[in-house]
Amino acid sequence: MAVSAASVAGVFAERLGPERLVVDPGALSAAAIDGHTPRWLVRPASIDHVAAVLAVAWDENLAVVPRGAGTALGLGPPPSRVDVLLDLTALDHVLEDNPDDLTVSVEAGITAGGLAERLAGRRQWLPVDPPGWRRRTLGGMTATNAAGPLRARYGTLRDLVLGVRFVQADGVVTWGGARVVKSVTGYDIPKLMVGALGTLGVVCELTLRLHPMPDAEQTWLATFTSVEAAQAFVARVVDSSLQPTRLELLNEAALRVCHAPSAPFGVAVAIGSAHPAVREQGERLAALGSSEGVRIAAVGDNVWTHYDTALAPAEGEVVLRIGSLPSRLADTVKVIERALPAAERAALITGCAALGTLRVAITGADPDTVRRLVEDLRALTGEFGGAVVIESAPTAVRTGLDPWGPVEPATLNLMRAIKQEFDSRGVLNPGRFVGGL
Amino acid sequence: MPLTAAVLDELRGILDTDGLVTTPEGRMVYEADMHTFYKGAPDAVALPRTTAQVQAVVRLCRREGLPVVPRGSGTGLIGGAMAPRGGVMVSVNRMDAVLEIDLPNRCAVVQPGLINLWLTTAVSDRGYFFAPDPSSQMVSSIGGNVSTNAGGPHCLKYGVTTNHVLGLEMVTGAGELVRIGGKAAERPGYDLTGTVVGSEGTFGLVTAITVRLLHTPEAVKTALATFASMTEASEAVSEIIASGIVPAALEMLDAAIISAINASIGKIYPDAADAVLLIELDGPRAEVEAQAERVATICRRHGAVSVTVAADEMERALLWKGRKEAAGAVGRLTSSYLLQDAVVPRSKLPQIMREMKAIAARHRVVIANVFHAGDGNLHPLICYDDRSAEELERAKQANEELLGACIALGGSVTGEHGVGLDKAKNLLLQYGEADLNFMFRLRRVFDPAGLMNPDKLLPSHPACGEGFRPKRPVLPAGAWI
Repeated sequence: MAVSAASVAGVFAERLGPERLVVDPGALSAAAIDGHTPRWLVRPASIDHVAAVLAVAWDENLAVVPRGAGTALGLGPPPSRVDVLLDLTALDHVLEDNPDDLTVSVEAGITAGGLAERLAGRRQWLPVDPPGWRRRTLGGMTATNAAGPLRARYGTLRDLVLGVRFVQADGVVTWGGARVVKSVTGYDIPKLMVGALGTLGVVCELTLRLHPMPDAEQTWLATFTSVEAAQAFVARVVDSSLQPTRLELLNEAALRVCHAPSAPFGVAVAIGSAHPAVREQGERLAALGSSEGVRIAAVGDNVWTHYDTALAPAEGEVVLRIGSLPSRLADTVKVIERALPAAERAALITGCAALGTLRVAITGADPDTVRRLVEDLRALTGEFGGAVVIESAPTAVRTGLDPWGPVEPATLNLMRAIKQEFDSRGVLNPGRFVGGL
Repeated sequence: MPLTAAVLDELRGILDTDGLVTTPEGRMVYEADMHTFYKGAPDAVALPRTTAQVQAVVRLCRREGLPVVPRGSGTGLIGGAMAPRGGVMVSVNRMDAVLEIDLPNRCAVVQPGLINLWLTTAVSDRGYFFAPDPSSQMVSSIGGNVSTNAGGPHCLKYGVTTNHVLGLEMVTGAGELVRIGGKAAERPGYDLTGTVVGSEGTFGLVTAITVRLLHTPEAVKTALATFASMTEASEAVSEIIASGIVPAALEMLDAAIISAINASIGKIYPDAADAVLLIELDGPRAEVEAQAERVATICRRHGAVSVTVAADEMERALLWKGRKEAAGAVGRLTSSYLLQDAVVPRSKLPQIMREMKAIAARHRVVIANVFHAGDGNLHPLICYDDRSAEELERAKQANEELLGACIALGGSVTGEHGVGLDKAKNLLLQYGEADLNFMFRLRRVFDPAGLMNPDKLLPSHPACGEGFRPKRPVLPAGAWI
């Protein structure tokens, strides 16, 4: 124990090559996370490199923070310690591509945009689109189970990750899941790793299920003067034979940044299917609208491009991820509006209306306002087992209140026991997960 | 080891008056699931009605060090709901209530003993259904489906059980009652729901399940494509998938199965066919129409002798009746069979079908096939005469070779049936020691005393035991003081 920093650096340099180790103080302080400057920044080029780093970290009780594109470092409380910053972006290869099976195996540091480019020519896609997805890494999106509007039809990475190769806290390389689309052989380890924020292992390889891209996709926007009316319309769509690929609620501010027609609330309905089916469903949507007295107009697909750009993670903003219910959307939005003073009404409220998940992005809110908002929202969602997670926020906001929110004690005990079993030394992302794990 | 009178008394005190089975003939009913090769009667069968009773039974067993074996309807195919080490079986059949139907949020909360099909029946008049549809859905329980992460023909489009389970209430092997997941789609913390689904009762007993309900599709079209060879049919399947069409179901039946079904249920499929594909498309009408044409074209291109579409609901039901009752019809074909559930990448279907033919010839066994072709999930039935030890031996060899071939193609040991006692040893084909050790440690977190459904799911391999240490990277000597 307690070997010198120089000795650790020496081992990293020897195992990874000196060019994969950053010790320059300027570079290190630029990589600080919530004020914690890492002692070493390493850029492994293989899973064996990651294993070597973690083996050292385990033996030396060093705290390791894995990093992809760095867009989700504001998720969870500030880390309690940061010794090694593990930059995974050099792990960006496609390992095995099986177009005819609609599966692909990739390294975790590849960006979603990089994979999309690779797939574009063959009309297949990984339909996961959290704002700014093109530059986010698949490993990071997996660790945070990040999702966007397409979850209405395709679910999240939880439903798309078939297999994972990861390195445990002590450096043991481990595989879970399968390379085929259907497998119940052994425990479903990929499910455990998706959304675990790298606290049980550093995911280095992913085998993913792809979907065929619809022949055509078209988007319509229904506009409303109240959120109650929007919720009622969503309920009608969900209860109809329409099968939207996206069914997204947007408030006035969000409509504006998406360059969409102005209204207090809008619901963007995207239909993706064969050409005649898109046309037919569009007609049906229009009929549904006119029978309900709802204004519906076709909008260009660039509404999603604007959505993606305008909502991409930005420095200093506060983003909340809310697990509400389709039947409680309006209640949830009203709580948000009530808690935010007029000056901060520019909050961008969006969300998958079909599933009752909401996202709120606030710029320039003071920590007290955010705290009140989160508390009010938690009081509401607590009624039905929902949740409010701070997806990103300045450090000051995240130290004042628990970014994850409460988890039932018995359930948290179980999570704690799992963490204890696989990372008893707290090497992986210490302090950043629920309950301070 | 029989239970002591004191333990039996305590169990009786926990359960309702008729809630404990202890007679030898009563217990024998529970000695096996549908894989009757594996037998092991429990020392007692508890039939709880409440979560509190389940928890009290588990806690008692934990105190006494008794194995606990969960059981739903006993329709599993893996030697799962049986008690190789005796102990107390907890059969949840009496916990079969629909606790809540919440259509505005498209979900329902049910007890584990509820029969799969009953849930769909309860919501179908309002235009909803529960998607996982194992062939046993008329009798299998949703708790059992959760336990094995059951699939079914329509899982090709809609996903298997785990994609439809939102939350669980369970009593862990440690005797703790936990609620995990729930109706809301965003929850902080580990995805314990996803981790527990498919754990075959080795983590604990599920006592309530929140499931997703889907809206019934507007249109359904079911077609039967007839082929002169399995290889051609397999090529058609591979091309349908590669072309980007996701049928609701894409099932293959071979000549042996066709003749068995036609003989026992009535003439449903063309006798002369070497293989048929049962293809179902569902969704918005215009989409279904567009895809149906493309599917028919692909089938014809690969030599389909005929492609016919069910004209009405009755014809459609008949096509499915044959498929869903296929396993029963196999009795016409053979007295006994080994059933596999391996998966291959969909593009490898033609190849595995050729290899299967060669393996069958080499070991002089009949291999019948009825399976979820669209997923690449095979169900070869390797037939043998149970009066001949030599024939059984050949069947076993063919079974092993076939499984090896599937894995070599990048496949999986089991796609939807689960592991149980039957396939535990086969995990070694798919996982290394570190992988197995990780699973073993996960199991121990939920069930520290190792009493939940012992011997199932994980092999008896050193990596699945205390004290095993997986290989870590070797660090340069002399780096440390």
